[in-house]
Amino acid sequence: MQTYIEEKLAPRLQGDGGWVEVAQVDGDTVTCVFRGECSKCNKLERCVAWMESEILRATGRNARIQAIRKKPYFWDVK
Amino acid sequence: MAHVKVVRRSMRPEEWTRLRFDWLERGLILDREEVTDIEIRDARQITEDTYVYDQEAYRPLKAGDLYFTPDGTAFIRARAKVPERMHGEKIYLYLPTAAEMIVKINGRYVGGIDPNRERILLNPYIDSDELAIEIEAYNRSKPDDERNPLSMAKRGCRQTFEGMAIVTLRENLQSLIYDYILLMDIADCEYFNEDYRKFLHEELSKGLDCIDFDTWEGIDAAKAHVEKVIYANTDFKGTGDVALVGHSHLDIAYYWRRIHAVQKNARTILIQLRLMDQYPEFRYTHTQAYTYETLEKYYPELFEELREKVKSGQFEPVGAMYVEPDCNIPQAESLVRQFLYGQHFFRRAFGMTLDNAWLPDVFGNSWIMPQILKKAKVDYFVSNKMSTWNDTNRFPHNNFRWRGIDGSEVYACVPPTHFITWNMPSQIQENWEAYQDKEKGGQTLSMYGYGDGGSGVTEEMLEMIRRFPKVSIMPKTEVTGGADFLHRNLKDNEKLATWDGELYLEMHRGTFTTKSNIKKANRNLEFRLRETEILYSLAKLGKVTGYPQSDIRDAYKKVLLNQFHDILPGSHIHPVYEDAMRDYGLVGQMLDAMRDALPQGTHYLNTLSGARKLPVFFPGEEGNDVRHGETGSWAQIPAEGLASADCAPVPALPGWFGLTETDAGLTVTTGNYVISLRPDGSFASLYDMELGREWVRPGHGFNRLHLYADNPGVYDAWDILPNYRDVEFTLVPSEPLHLVRADDSIAVLEVTFKTDKSTWTMQLRFFAGRREIEVEHIVDWHEKHRLMKVNFAPDILTREVLCDTSAGFIRRELTKNTTWQQARFEVCHHKWFDLSETGAGLGVINEGKYGLGLEGDEVSLSLLRSTIRPDIESDMGKHDFCYLIVPHAGDAVSSGLNRLALEYNVALVKTDMTFPESLRKATIESGLELQAFKLSEDGEQFVVRLSEQDGRRGKLVFPYPVKLLNLLEDVEGEASEIAFKPFEIVTVGISPEQLK
Repeated sequence: MQTYIEEKLAPRLQGDGGWVEVAQVDGDTVTCVFRGECSKCNKLERCVAWMESEILRATGRNARIQAIRKKPYFWDVK
Repeated sequence: MAHVKVVRRSMRPEEWTRLRFDWLERGLILDREEVTDIEIRDARQITEDTYVYDQEAYRPLKAGDLYFTPDGTAFIRARAKVPERMHGEKIYLYLPTAAEMIVKINGRYVGGIDPNRERILLNPYIDSDELAIEIEAYNRSKPDDERNPLSMAKRGCRQTFEGMAIVTLRENLQSLIYDYILLMDIADCEYFNEDYRKFLHEELSKGLDCIDFDTWEGIDAAKAHVEKVIYANTDFKGTGDVALVGHSHLDIAYYWRRIHAVQKNARTILIQLRLMDQYPEFRYTHTQAYTYETLEKYYPELFEELREKVKSGQFEPVGAMYVEPDCNIPQAESLVRQFLYGQHFFRRAFGMTLDNAWLPDVFGNSWIMPQILKKAKVDYFVSNKMSTWNDTNRFPHNNFRWRGIDGSEVYACVPPTHFITWNMPSQIQENWEAYQDKEKGGQTLSMYGYGDGGSGVTEEMLEMIRRFPKVSIMPKTEVTGGADFLHRNLKDNEKLATWDGELYLEMHRGTFTTKSNIKKANRNLEFRLRETEILYSLAKLGKVTGYPQSDIRDAYKKVLLNQFHDILPGSHIHPVYEDAMRDYGLVGQMLDAMRDALPQGTHYLNTLSGARKLPVFFPGEEGNDVRHGETGSWAQIPAEGLASADCAPVPALPGWFGLTETDAGLTVTTGNYVISLRPDGSFASLYDMELGREWVRPGHGFNRLHLYADNPGVYDAWDILPNYRDVEFTLVPSEPLHLVRADDSIAVLEVTFKTDKSTWTMQLRFFAGRREIEVEHIVDWHEKHRLMKVNFAPDILTREVLCDTSAGFIRRELTKNTTWQQARFEVCHHKWFDLSETGAGLGVINEGKYGLGLEGDEVSLSLLRSTIRPDIESDMGKHDFCYLIVPHAGDAVSSGLNRLALEYNVALVKTDMTFPESLRKATIESGLELQAFKLSEDGEQFVVRLSEQDGRRGKLVFPYPVKLLNLLEDVEGEASEIAFKPFEIVTVGISPEQLK
């Protein structure tokens, strides 16, 4: 599951200026850190749901992704 | 009495007007026939024209479904029928979306849809009620412009499909909406007269009073009110004369890969073509030969249509270059090729030679450009950034003359405002107010149109233009083309001021350093392309083999493409970096293959005009040193200019090197110096025994590493802020400076630093009998928001630093007396910089670094950054780079520093081929540098390009008459003796017979 996220899904997020890193895998629960454009995306939940469906389609695993946004300091500049 | 803040709870009259204005959109669709037979197939684009599909087959798509995936392209197809009740009406395909879509109906391109336009007029393009709709759609999570609220509101990888319909409109309401967009913008804009705005607010409200928002009756009455009351009021007069030029800026790669730019470009062009059908007065400008090339290759049908619009004058190619490159880092020859391949494309495709360079978004422009422009038949230059991005000084001109390093002059336009506008009256008025050459420059230039796949001009923008003459308070506006604007206002305009110097952008100073590997590869390949052309020219002359014209051109174009102003500067997402490095690898392989196809020789050919002096490192299994990670050994190849020599061992001088340990570090003696080195590898003293002087300012850093916090904000990859030195992190060596190896010819010392994340090793390399000291940095870099620099504080009294531009040097002031000097705290240089006083000086030569900090009487070479936007991983990982410290007698010119820098960057070539004697003699005697030696594009003659880089005059004398060429390889004369000026680039054509 981690390999699938890192090798198949991460490049797709990168293509949109986003970034995902797997922080922890605990059974079917995967904790992912979202950086780049993903860190401030107001549609991230939809993307996470898509990732879960892709994992299910490709690996048969019913993954549940816990998303952590790692937002850089400069997005807080007013 | 306490101040009481009044909080209004009721609606102000202007808010009531705004609210009802927003309601107008609700009534726009008169009749709607839903399209329900819709299917979608998700994909990911992997090359310019191939896709990997997420599903085997199409799946149904209905309103409310989620569609699009990260970095996704979707293919949508639908079947629809125009209902009979719509016959005789203007009908539209209506599809609100965040994505960028190319729409074909019944096999014909009918238009494009994106966040800036949600419908396509169908009548002119369909001849049947039955519609087979095919859509290719690319969803971008990054909007075309973050100032564009329409795009920002819809961003995101996963979108909700809002449905598709065939609609008719209340056309009179659409017209009224355009009136209100125009007038509301003026009413809300403080640039316009306050009394007129008050009048507008009152009358716009009265106009809306005419409308019943339930029945939509009263639209015509409202329209009549606008015409008879508002437009008819000519009591308020505007001033100004603004040229409106339709344009869509397109980043070939940025937050998207260049493969996506192919479709972005096609969509943009398609949309502009369709607008031209509807608005015959509309003219549009489009840049970059590369974008036309991709349209011709992947969308030939559209390209043919475009060709017709070019003929009619509505579609105007502008910008004579292959792409809009960065104009700081590419070498002179790269800039020449940008014009050569760009102009040759425009000649082939449209029979045109363009006379302007159109570079709205580039991050400053080198002083070498005017000469290159002029000799590429380009008299006009347009670039926006200096007017609106400068962080310290206001650039003082908009329409002016630009004088280059050699004295060449071109007409230049730095428009007062952004190159992406949506043609609102407020933006036009802002442009006029910011325009600084009102009394002498003629019209001011305002570009309008969304960029970067936002697909240029919209119907709304053109409707605004039709209304501008009705509003007396607006500046006078004129729809024109780019070239027409430049010709009419700048040509022969004696009143224009002259700017003599580089067009330095007071911002984006980090782009000289970000993405170190890209810059290093670009430098390396620029010189390898030169070498390949020289070798094959010699091979063709010697009848060894043919000249691989097309392979070399392909390789060159790949390098030129990656010089685009968001690739080479490093301001892009990670996949763009991967594409660039892949391209560089491919070009390297192509050049290797071409090199390997030539016979191997036994001698080493020097392709430079200057004699070789430096030791040469040869990788090999046996060796006494390790450089750039390869074991090898040093040799001496004392080849004269454009001549060959055999390999000889470096001089062995027993006892030349001495090392003693002291309390403060190490003391090294070489034949030339006595050097006190600190444990961190910096020089406490560099005493020059030959010149009898000290080079290090007492108590200061010299070759000292500095690690700074680097937090420039949202423009992370682009900027270094003036306060970057405020926070510095102490670097303590984990392995203090120590001797690694020393023999009779080479000695190497090494120091290593470790931070929590990175390892940084610096090696100092001394050569027996040589004055040059090489420093190599071997780095495993994993920092975040850090900038590593190496500082030099030499004991030299000077107020200027000389910087190589690749075609001559520029003197930059070190003093900080004025804001202009203060703003240039980080500048771009090429192979070397030099600080000299009368009689002696110090140069530093690099092999791929460009950023140079000017910090009063110290200078610093910028080595690595660690930015996280747009690329989280920017510059992470292994690096290995060198520079050469060169204390010298005399100044930079008399010491031959430039030739040494060329020698340091250009490899010798193992071959038995030699230069024709007539060419060698003429070049050597002239003192010029051989910039290029290639077969002409038409294959008829050899092109020799020579560059004066020391700032002196002279003569170039051939034993036969040669053709005088411009940079496009057009013959402009013939001579055997050519007088050249300081910093001049001379191009001649020589026949194969003459060279034999």
